[in-house]
Amino acid sequence: MSARGTSVRLGLEADFWTIASGTAAAQLAFAALVWVYGQSPRAMTALVFEGTWGSAYGIGQVLFKATPLLFTGLAVHVGLRAGLFNVGAEGQLAAASLAVGVLGAHLPHGTPAIVALPLLAIVAAAAGALWAAPAAGLRARGAHEVISTILLNRVADAFIGLMLGLGLAEHGTVRTEEVVAGARLSRLDRFVHPLEGSAASTAIVIAVLFVAAILWVLPRTRRGREAELVAQNDEACRAEKIPVSRRRSEALIASGAIAGLASLGTVLGYKGYFEQGLGAGAGFAGLAVAILGRGRLVGIVFAALLFGTLAQGGLAINAYVPAEAMEVIQGVVIVVVALADARLRAWLTEKLRAIVVLKREGAS
Amino acid sequence: MSVFASIASLTMIAQTARTAVPYVLASQGGVWSERSGVVNVALEGMMLAGGLAGVAVARTHGPIAGVVAALAIGAALGAAHAAVTELGRIDAIVTGVAINIIALGGTRVVMRALYQSSSNSPSIDGFAGRGSSMVARVALDPMSFATIAAVVMTMLVLRGTRFGLRVRACGEGPLAARAAGIAVVRTRVLAVSIGGALAGLAGAALAYDEHQFQSGMSGGRGFMALAAVVLSGWRPGRAALVCVVFAALDALQGVLQGHARALQDLVQMLPFVAALVALAIFSRSGGTGGPPAGLGVHAE
Amino acid sequence: MEVALRVVAVSKRFGATVAVREGSLALEKCKIHAIVGENGAGKSTISSIAAGLVAPDTGHVEIFGAKLSPHTARAAIARGVGMVQQHFRLVDALSVLENAMLGVEPVRGFGRVDLAAARAKLDAVQRELGSSLVANARTGSLGVGDRQRLEIARVLFRDAQILLLDEPTAVLSPQEVAALYTTLRRLADAGRAVAVVTHKIDEVMEFADAVTVMRRGHVVSTREIDRAGDLHAQRRAILHDAFHDSEEASPVVARAGDESQRMLLEIEGLKSERRLQGVRLHVRAKEIVGLAGVEGNGQQELVEILAGLREATSGTVRARGPIEVVLEDRHRQGLVLAASVADNAVLGEHARFTRFFVLNVRALRAEASRRVRDGDVSPPEIDLPVAALSGGNQQKLVLARALARGVASEARVLVLAQPTRGVDIHAARQIHLRIAAAADAGAAVLVSSSDLDELRALCHRIVVIARGRIVGDARRDADGQWEEAASNERLGARMVVRGDVSIP
Repeated sequence: MSARGTSVRLGLEADFWTIASGTAAAQLAFAALVWVYGQSPRAMTALVFEGTWGSAYGIGQVLFKATPLLFTGLAVHVGLRAGLFNVGAEGQLAAASLAVGVLGAHLPHGTPAIVALPLLAIVAAAAGALWAAPAAGLRARGAHEVISTILLNRVADAFIGLMLGLGLAEHGTVRTEEVVAGARLSRLDRFVHPLEGSAASTAIVIAVLFVAAILWVLPRTRRGREAELVAQNDEACRAEKIPVSRRRSEALIASGAIAGLASLGTVLGYKGYFEQGLGAGAGFAGLAVAILGRGRLVGIVFAALLFGTLAQGGLAINAYVPAEAMEVIQGVVIVVVALADARLRAWLTEKLRAIVVLKREGAS
Repeated sequence: MSVFASIASLTMIAQTARTAVPYVLASQGGVWSERSGVVNVALEGMMLAGGLAGVAVARTHGPIAGVVAALAIGAALGAAHAAVTELGRIDAIVTGVAINIIALGGTRVVMRALYQSSSNSPSIDGFAGRGSSMVARVALDPMSFATIAAVVMTMLVLRGTRFGLRVRACGEGPLAARAAGIAVVRTRVLAVSIGGALAGLAGAALAYDEHQFQSGMSGGRGFMALAAVVLSGWRPGRAALVCVVFAALDALQGVLQGHARALQDLVQMLPFVAALVALAIFSRSGGTGGPPAGLGVHAE
Repeated sequence: MEVALRVVAVSKRFGATVAVREGSLALEKCKIHAIVGENGAGKSTISSIAAGLVAPDTGHVEIFGAKLSPHTARAAIARGVGMVQQHFRLVDALSVLENAMLGVEPVRGFGRVDLAAARAKLDAVQRELGSSLVANARTGSLGVGDRQRLEIARVLFRDAQILLLDEPTAVLSPQEVAALYTTLRRLADAGRAVAVVTHKIDEVMEFADAVTVMRRGHVVSTREIDRAGDLHAQRRAILHDAFHDSEEASPVVARAGDESQRMLLEIEGLKSERRLQGVRLHVRAKEIVGLAGVEGNGQQELVEILAGLREATSGTVRARGPIEVVLEDRHRQGLVLAASVADNAVLGEHARFTRFFVLNVRALRAEASRRVRDGDVSPPEIDLPVAALSGGNQQKLVLARALARGVASEARVLVLAQPTRGVDIHAARQIHLRIAAAADAGAAVLVSSSDLDELRALCHRIVVIARGRIVGDARRDADGQWEEAASNERLGARMVVRGDVSIP
C-alpha cells in the first residue's frame, strides 16, 4: 500500500477513535452525574432520548441547538489550525449579533432576501473579525491570545450593555427592534412539516455547507496551508520567509469572522432580533466541537449534533437533574478527547515510522 | 456628591483594598502555577469552586472551616489540572478551559442540589462584622491579612527555599530539572496545587465579601489576575501591584453606584480595557520580562 | 582494577528501531574509558542507560556490584553516577550556584537553602576542577567552555564517583579539549571512573585508557589502549570495528580553488549586535569555503544574517545571485516535522504554486517529488510526515530544498551550517558529494562546521572565525594538499586566539 493510502487509513482510524472516546466519555459522565443526583441513568437517558432524537420536534430542536455550534466549532478549528486558541468566540458572536440585529432592523422595509442576507452575513463576519482584531494585534506583539480574547469577551458584555442602554435597544426593553422580513431565515418546519414548532431554521443548511466549503478550501490555499505549517513550527517557517505573525493574525481574524457568522442562526434564524445573552455559551462549546471534530466535516457535524443533543437533552431532564450538568459533561469531553488525541498522534507517528523502516529494509 | 469627590475619598481607598483581595490572591495562584511551567487559565474556575465550597461549608461549620474547604477544593483542582496536563501530555490551555467550563456548570449544579437555586446561595456572614465603617472592616478582615501573607510567602518561598528553587527550575528548564533528578511532574502538581488553593481562597474571599455565592461571580477576575501575572513578568510582588491597579478601576463601579447607567456600563469595561491596553504596551517592549522558558513544555 | 559500573547485556528499542542490542560494558576506577562509534551506533543510548536516564528493555546495570533498582536517574545519582549530557543540561535563568546544587540543595530550617554551605561546597569542587566560575553569575551568560565546567562541577557537587560524558568535545576547540582531558585525568587519578562518549578517534588515541566500539547497536569490541605499543595499528583496528568497511573517508574535494572564478559572495566589515565584530569574507564561484570556529564565536550570527533572520548593525553583504541557507538546527529551523515531506520540500514557496488564492496541488506535488528524487531522500514518499524519516534523510531533504532553489541562477550562493551533524556516515558522504556537485556547477558555497575533518575533506579553503572576526585561513597547495595551517593544532590555535588578527 502507498504511504498516502496508509496515512489516510490511519487518519480515519484516529478520527474514529476520537469520536468514540468523546461519545463514551459523554455517556459515562452523564451516567455518573445523574447517579450522583440520585436518579437512574437509564431512566434519564430515556428522557434525554425522548426529548431529542425520539421525536421530530426533538430532532428539530437538536438541529437548532447545533446550528451556532457548527459555526463556532469551525471558528475555533480555524484558530487551532494556526496554533491559536480563540476562546473569544463568545464575544465575537455577541458583537456580531448586536451588529446584525441593529442593521437588520434598519434596512429599508421590503429589502429582498437576496440583498439582505448576504449583506448581513458580511456585517456579521466583519463585526466578529473586528472583535478578534485587537487580540490578533496583541498576539503579533507577543501577548497570548487566550488572555486577550477572554478579556475581549468581558469587554463585549459591557459594551453591548452600554450600546443597548444608549439607545440601540427598542424603547423600554433590552433587545433590538425586529429585523426586516427579508432578513429572516425561514424556519425548517415550513419545508419539513413534522418539525412543527421546533426552532430549527435554514441556517443549519447554510452552516453545514459553509463548514464543508471552508474545510475544503483551507488546505487548498496558500494562506490555509501556511497557517498550519506556522502552527507546527514557526521558527522553520520564519527561516523560509513565511510571514509568521501575519498568518497568525489572519487566522485569528478569520476565526472571529466565522464565529460572528453564527449570529445568522441566532438572530436571523431564531429570534429575529438581538437581546443580551442570545447565543451565550456557543463560543465555549465551539472549543469542544473543534477538539472533537478534528477538522473533518463529519467530525464537526457529529460533535455539533452531540453537544446540541446534550443542550436540548438537558432541558428534557431539568426537572430531575439541572440542565447545567450538561456543561460539566462538555468539559469532561474536552479533556478526554484531548487526551485521546495526544495518544493517537503519537501512535500515528510511530506507525508511519515503522512503515518507513519496513520500506527501507525492503529496499536494501 | 461629585464623581471626583467619590473617587478621591478614603472610602475609595478602602474599597480598592477590599476589591483587590481576590485579584491579588488569584494572581499569586497564577504565579505559583506558571513559575512551575504550567499555564493556568483555570484560575477563574478555581475561584468559583473555592467560592461555593467556602460559602457552603461556612454556612454549616463557620467561616474558618469555609476557608479550609476553599483551599482544599482549589488545591484539588490545581492538582487535577497539573496531573492531567503533565501525565496526559496535553496543552494546559485545553485543560484549563475545560476546568472553567466544568466549574461554571458544576457550581450551578451543586447550588441547585443544596439550595434549590442555581443562581445564588443563601446569605452568610463571612468574617467581617456588619455595621462598622468600611475602612475598619477592610483593615480588620482576616482575608486582608491572608492576602498580604500570601504575597510575602510566595516571594520568600520561591526565592529562598529548596522547594522554590525546584519550582523555578521546573518552570525555566523542565528537561534540565529532570536530568538533575528532580521529579518534575510531582513538583509541578504541588506548585499548581498551592496556586489552586490560593485561587480557591480568592473565590472564598470574594464570596465572603459579598455575603453569598452567585453563579459566575468571579466575573473575569481570574483572567485579570492572569493578565497581571503576565504584565508583572511572572513576579509575585509586581503581580500584586498590578492587581491593585485593576482593583482600583474595578472599585470605581461601586463608588459610582447611583450615577448614570451608561457611566456604570462604561466603568465596568474599564479594568478589562486597561488590561488589554497594558498588554499592548508592555508585551513587545519586553518591559514585562519574558515568560519562564519552560512554560508549557512537558518534562518528557 | 575495581569495576565501578557494569552494564550487563542491555537492549533498548525505540519504536521500530533497536538502539542497543545486548550491550555490555565495564567501567573501572581510575580510568578514562572511551565509547566510540558513528552516529546512531547506540553509544549515547548505552551511556544514558548506564546513568539511569533510560530504562533498558532487557538487561541491567550494576553500580559497585549492586544492581541499580529502580532504574531511574535519581537512583543512579544517589549511587554516585553523574552524567554530563549533550543537551538540556543547565537552566539558563538560574545562577551558577543554583544549577550546581539543583537536586541536592543543602537546607536549614523551614526548607530554606543553606547558601553558605552550598557556596563552600562549590568552592571545594571548583578547586578540584581548577575552575573559577562566579557563583552568582547567570548561567545563560556563560560561554560554551564555562557551561561545560559547570556541568562537571554539578556532577562533582553530588560526589559522583562515576562520570559519564556524552560528546563533551563536540563544541570545544582543540586546546579546550586538551584542558578537559587534563581535568578528567585528574578526576580519574583521584579514584573516579570516567567514561567519554565520542566519535573523534584522535581523542581516544591520545587520552583514553580503554575504548569500547559500538556499531549499529552492537558492542563490537573493548580494548585497552597500549600507549607503548603500535598506536597506528590500534587506531586502524578501532576504525575497522567502528566502520567495518572504510578507513577514514576519502576527501570529496582534492584540489585548490580556482582563483580565476569571479566573486559571488563578498562580505565586508559585518557587525552584529552581540557577536560579529567586523567580518570580511569572500567566496568565489565553484569554491567551497569552510568556516571553522568554536561554537558561539559568531558563525551562527553570520549564517542568520545571510539567511535574513537577523539584521547586521553595520557592514555589507553583496551576493551576485540568490543566497540559499541551510540552518544548523534542522528540527527547529529547517523542517516542520509534523507536516508532509511535500510541504517541507517546498516550504516557503507555496506562493509560487498559487493562482487566484488557490494552490495548484498537482504542480506542488510534482515539484516536491522531483526534489525528493534528486535529493535521494528515502523512502521517496512525499505524503509521509517528515517526523517519520531518519535524521540523515531529513537533512537530505533540507539540502535538496536549498539546492533546488535558485538552480536556474548561475551565480547562486549556498550557505550551509553543520550540514552533516547527527547524520550517519553514509548519508554524510552523499551530502558532501551533492555539495561538491553544486559547487562544480558554479555555486559559491560557505560551509560552517565544528568538525575540522569534515571541512578538510570538503573544502577548497578554510577560514577561522574567533570572537566575531575572521582570524586566519588555510589553503591547499597546487597539488591539492593542505598547507600546514590546516592542521588541527594550527587551526585550533587560531580558534582560541584572543587578539585581533586580520587576514590580508
